[in-house]
Amino acid sequence: MAEHDLTSRIAPHLDRHLVFPLLEFLQERQLYADEEILKAKIDLLSKTNMVDYAMDIHKSLYHTEEVPQEMMDRRAEVVGRLKSLEESAAPLISFLQNAANVQESRPDKLYNLQMLNDRFQIGQEQIEALYQYAKFQFECGNYSGAADYLYHYRDLCTNSDRSLSALWGKLAAEILMQNWAIALEELNRLKEIIDSKNFASPLYQLQNRIWLMHWSLFIFFNHENGRNGIIDLFFQDRYLNAIQTNANHLLRYVATAVIVSKRRWNMIKELIKVIQQENHVFKDPITEFLECLYINYDFEGAQQKLQECEHVILNDPFLGKRVEDANFSTVPLKDEFLENARLFIFETYCRIHQCIDIGMLAEKLNMNYDEAENWIMNLVQNAKLEAKIDSVSGTVIMETSNVNVYEQLIETMKNLNTRTYLLAKSLVDQTPQSAR
Amino acid sequence: MTSRFWTQGGDSDSDEEEEKQSEFGDGSDAGGGAGEPAGDGNRYLHENASDSDDSDGQHRVIKSARDKRFDEMAATVEQMKNAMKINDWVSLQENFEKLNKQLEKVVRITESDKVPNLYIKALVLLEDFLAEALANKDAKKKMSSSNAKALNSMKQKLKKNNKQYEELITKYREKPESEDEGVEDEEEEEGNESGSEVEEDPSKIDMSDMEDEDVEDGDEQTEGDGAWEKKMSRKDKLMDKQFMKDPSEITWDVVDKKFKEIIAARGRKGTGRVEQVEQLTFLTRVAKTPAQKLEILFSVISAQFDVNPSLLGHMPINVWKKCVGNLLLVLDILEKYPNIVVDDTIEPEERETEKGVNHKGTIRVWGSLVAFLERLDSEFFKSLQCIDPHTRDYVERLRDEPLFFVVAQNVQDYLEKAGDFKAASKVALRRVELVYYKPQEVYAAMRKLAEQDEVSDGGSEGDGVGEYQAVEEHRGPPAFVVIPELVPRRPTFPESSRTLLDSLVSLIYKYGDERTKARSMLCDVYNHAIFDEFYVARDLLLMSHLQEGIQLMDISSQILFNRAMAQLGLCAFRAGLITEAHGCLSELYTGGRVKELLAQGFSQSRYHEKTPEQEKLERRRQMPYHMHINLELLEATHLICAMLLEVPNMASNTHDSKRKVISKTFRRLLDGSERQTFVGPPENVRDHVMAATRALNKGDYQKAFNVIKSLDIWKLLRNRDAVLDMLNTKIKEEALRTYLFAYSSCYKSLSLDRVTALFDLSDVHAHSIISKMMITEELHASWDQPTQCIVFHEVEQTRLQGLLFQMADKLGILAEINEKAFEVRTGGGLDGLPPRRRGEGQEFGGSVVSGRWQENFLSASQGRSRAGYLSSRSGQVAGGFPKERAGAGQRGGASGYSSSRYQDAYGSTGGRTPYQSGSSARGSQIDGAGRMVSLNKAGRIY
Repeated sequence: MAEHDLTSRIAPHLDRHLVFPLLEFLQERQLYADEEILKAKIDLLSKTNMVDYAMDIHKSLYHTEEVPQEMMDRRAEVVGRLKSLEESAAPLISFLQNAANVQESRPDKLYNLQMLNDRFQIGQEQIEALYQYAKFQFECGNYSGAADYLYHYRDLCTNSDRSLSALWGKLAAEILMQNWAIALEELNRLKEIIDSKNFASPLYQLQNRIWLMHWSLFIFFNHENGRNGIIDLFFQDRYLNAIQTNANHLLRYVATAVIVSKRRWNMIKELIKVIQQENHVFKDPITEFLECLYINYDFEGAQQKLQECEHVILNDPFLGKRVEDANFSTVPLKDEFLENARLFIFETYCRIHQCIDIGMLAEKLNMNYDEAENWIMNLVQNAKLEAKIDSVSGTVIMETSNVNVYEQLIETMKNLNTRTYLLAKSLVDQTPQSAR
Repeated sequence: MTSRFWTQGGDSDSDEEEEKQSEFGDGSDAGGGAGEPAGDGNRYLHENASDSDDSDGQHRVIKSARDKRFDEMAATVEQMKNAMKINDWVSLQENFEKLNKQLEKVVRITESDKVPNLYIKALVLLEDFLAEALANKDAKKKMSSSNAKALNSMKQKLKKNNKQYEELITKYREKPESEDEGVEDEEEEEGNESGSEVEEDPSKIDMSDMEDEDVEDGDEQTEGDGAWEKKMSRKDKLMDKQFMKDPSEITWDVVDKKFKEIIAARGRKGTGRVEQVEQLTFLTRVAKTPAQKLEILFSVISAQFDVNPSLLGHMPINVWKKCVGNLLLVLDILEKYPNIVVDDTIEPEERETEKGVNHKGTIRVWGSLVAFLERLDSEFFKSLQCIDPHTRDYVERLRDEPLFFVVAQNVQDYLEKAGDFKAASKVALRRVELVYYKPQEVYAAMRKLAEQDEVSDGGSEGDGVGEYQAVEEHRGPPAFVVIPELVPRRPTFPESSRTLLDSLVSLIYKYGDERTKARSMLCDVYNHAIFDEFYVARDLLLMSHLQEGIQLMDISSQILFNRAMAQLGLCAFRAGLITEAHGCLSELYTGGRVKELLAQGFSQSRYHEKTPEQEKLERRRQMPYHMHINLELLEATHLICAMLLEVPNMASNTHDSKRKVISKTFRRLLDGSERQTFVGPPENVRDHVMAATRALNKGDYQKAFNVIKSLDIWKLLRNRDAVLDMLNTKIKEEALRTYLFAYSSCYKSLSLDRVTALFDLSDVHAHSIISKMMITEELHASWDQPTQCIVFHEVEQTRLQGLLFQMADKLGILAEINEKAFEVRTGGGLDGLPPRRRGEGQEFGGSVVSGRWQENFLSASQGRSRAGYLSSRSGQVAGGFPKERAGAGQRGGASGYSSSRYQDAYGSTGGRTPYQSGSSARGSQIDGAGRMVSLNKAGRIY
């Protein structure tokens, strides 16, 4: 099932550290050979400062206790650098650690800078050192420390570019610490900056948006209100454009989010349009499912795709999140998805039929006869379906509700009155004005 | 030879100007026209041009007037002399006044302050005679009173008059002898200049001219004057004498002087263009420094371009080939001496090219490689335009393409090395334009050709270049500056044209200016389309945003755009994307001027005649034959697409067919063919498609397909069978749709088996098509799953209801117009209008695929369906409602015919609104898909 794996397409848009969770997931799912993943991990780590971790992986990969010399060298180098950075950032950090001092600072950035400079002899170099130190901490895997420092740094920073990268760093750190609520806040802040800021080139802005969308996947599929969030974000024109130009694999996540959140089914039309436009570049079972259902009305095909979708969801690092529940692990999203997809199929099916065999329906919906009858009964009872079950022949009979002609007429004429009234009113309003 | 003379004499504008300037234009033209060797007439001409100082810009007509004046003056002087003899002062006085008047005129005409000697002479004569007469008192006394009076007045007048010319007169008196000679000389000269009036013997003038020239020849023999240039044999002799006898004596100065002379003659009337090229070519061999050689080579190339003066005609092919050789030579020099810089912005110093091989600094030489290359390309293009494509010449000419390619490649390499990427991108564009229209097969053939030549030729160059050098070798001494062949003489082609294009295009995108970029983008689109990559081509076109700005671009780019669109349409058709193909092609066919739009010929317009200028311009824009897009194929594609879209569309709106027209062109053609009384067997593409349409209208898909298949254009397609299969399926699909539209009202139910049997479609396929129609509410029916059949619903309305709907529509429009009128008057919109109406306004506003509008629409229709649902519930409760419904049904049955007419009106309010026609078919499909009946209405927010 590795063919639908998107990790390789997603990874380039992520921070190094953010790829780890994905690799962990892949390792767990055993989609690839263990060695491959471990090697990929070492590869990733080689550019970071998490040397100890890299050493551990190296040991488990080659089953030795020895570690190559360059790793040792690197370790020494990292430690040395950490020391020097710590030193240069020390004055500011000690200031920040003192609660009394922090209380003195005010929301006014300039004032703070002035105060730091006057009373503690902390100037631009120290602030810059703080940023470097935070970055280094992040590289070392100390995310909470990094997040903390970056938070303070942003208060003191005057350079907007720096502030932007600090924000990215903060976001990454929060994601890695799984503080979804805070991460969401940071995400929104970042989004505002990206949308409002006049970037040098539109291309860079586009790139930023794409990064943002990729990073947001972590948050949206973990935060409780994430699904609405992802739909809101991704369906904005600019972001939809970005998806279409450079990151069409993200369509999988949008599609899933739309299918899963019932209240947003009205987005499906727009989604289908996009999927159809992009289907020569990107397709996977989830988008194909929608295509079968809404473009070709091929229910058999949709059924097949649905089965594939199940695998895709299970193997996707974002979608296939597990919930351990008393020794029983489930993937909540998968169940939700299947249920909703079934509803989708059934709904469409009912629209064009007046009489359906329950047996066949049960087969289509992956249920047995009784289950299906029960399910339909529930739907009818909850007034979600205008139908009756003909138990003798084993069919469901739709009640075709032809729209009443009079209703239609009334509907068409309905607002004529208001319109005319408004028109007349504004005319009357205008006349005295012009007379004056 | 003769033809060249004719063209020289006849057609170009610049020649006319020269004619005016030259003094004896007529004579020389006649000489040239008669096909005589240009020698005599020209020499004569040149002679005059070189030694007459005041004749510039004078017309021959004016000159004859001047001659007349002189003539008159001379006559007057004669009369005066006569009068003196008889001592007739009265007539002398008259003549004197006349002479003065004539003098004025002469001065005015010659536009010089110099007074003719003739006049001074007359004055001196008069003065002497007057003095004589005054001295002779007796004679004075004897005079008649009138004569004496005249004498007196003459005395005063002459005194007054002569004051003005005192100087001249004294000068004349001082040395009357030399002055006499001068006068005579001048008179003779004047005679030469001012035509035959004085001596009235043209042959004599000619003679004198010849003599003059002989003298001059004698004088100038040592220098080898410009007068010699035109006489080839003698000139060569001279050249040889000058340059051959002692190579060591030839200095940079000698060459430079000669070079300047030749250049100065450029563009003069009567300068033989071919001869000039030869002279310059000779000079390249004796050039002393590489830089000088380069400079002269540039002139050779421009002289070669000059060989053909006409805009319409093309450069002789052999000259073109030589030109290619020269350009390669230039590149060799530049390659060998990297310190030589070619520049066309800075005026180089006078003796810049004297700097020799050992000069360290940069040497600037004036010239523009890009301009030469572009000229070369356009000459190649022009030659292809002019040569009859059905002859062998054309094929031969096409084989020269690699020749140009190699030059372009080398120039581009050089420019890139020199860091002039802007110019390099221009060259790259030329290369792109040479390759983009070639399918892989043609490209491979060109590549093979280039390689083959290499093998067969071995060491020597391709025919043109080789010949050229052979010619050069056997004449004259070896060149002083020997340049080895450094740049490759063979083009290198990558395996696929795509790789080549990609590399060129990316260079252009990076460095090119707007026009270059746009053109290369279009070429890229075209090429992708040829290679059946529809989506890539489409995305490229859409991303370029060229559609919006194309009207503002030059015509040639517009043509390129049209051609790219045509190719895109064909590509979409091959891929089975009928709607897209139609979208690409329909615009080309709206005006009925496809040929002009694609620059593949002319179409006569009945209504307005083209002026010759327009025609000329258009002829210059024509595409060479090998680049043509097959027009029959294009037309067939367009019409078939239109047919597939339009036939079901017409069937669905039988009663109101005017409302939604997809292809106006197609409708017009169909109307025309329906008006025919007798329909013969189809002959052209149009007939075939019309015949197919008739069959399709009846649902006879087989006949329709066979008629289409019998077109013989299909053999032009590479994947013919696949396309025909696709076409067959499409025709079946549309036949099914048409059938259902047309006959659904006659059925109560229809089984899927029957449908599949009728139209030879698979179950799934038919099911999918019909389902789609149901969802989009094109077809008012639903499936009965257990029995696998379609059940049709009664959706017909009574006449009254239909009329009501119409009225509602019209009221809506009325309100709309009122609001618009109000907005126009006040300039502001109405606030607080219901949202639905706002949405419609948007849709009217533009054809942008209107997501928002559809959303609004969605909510509206949901609301409606819920309302319907509620009302039917309440109807059951109330009990009265169903009865009325039944009654309505009865009425509907009674007036079946009339009510069915309004079916469409119902349709429009039920789902398809007229506004929707603006959005694409795809849009409407999705629209239908989105308009779901909701199972979970409770949760929906309206």
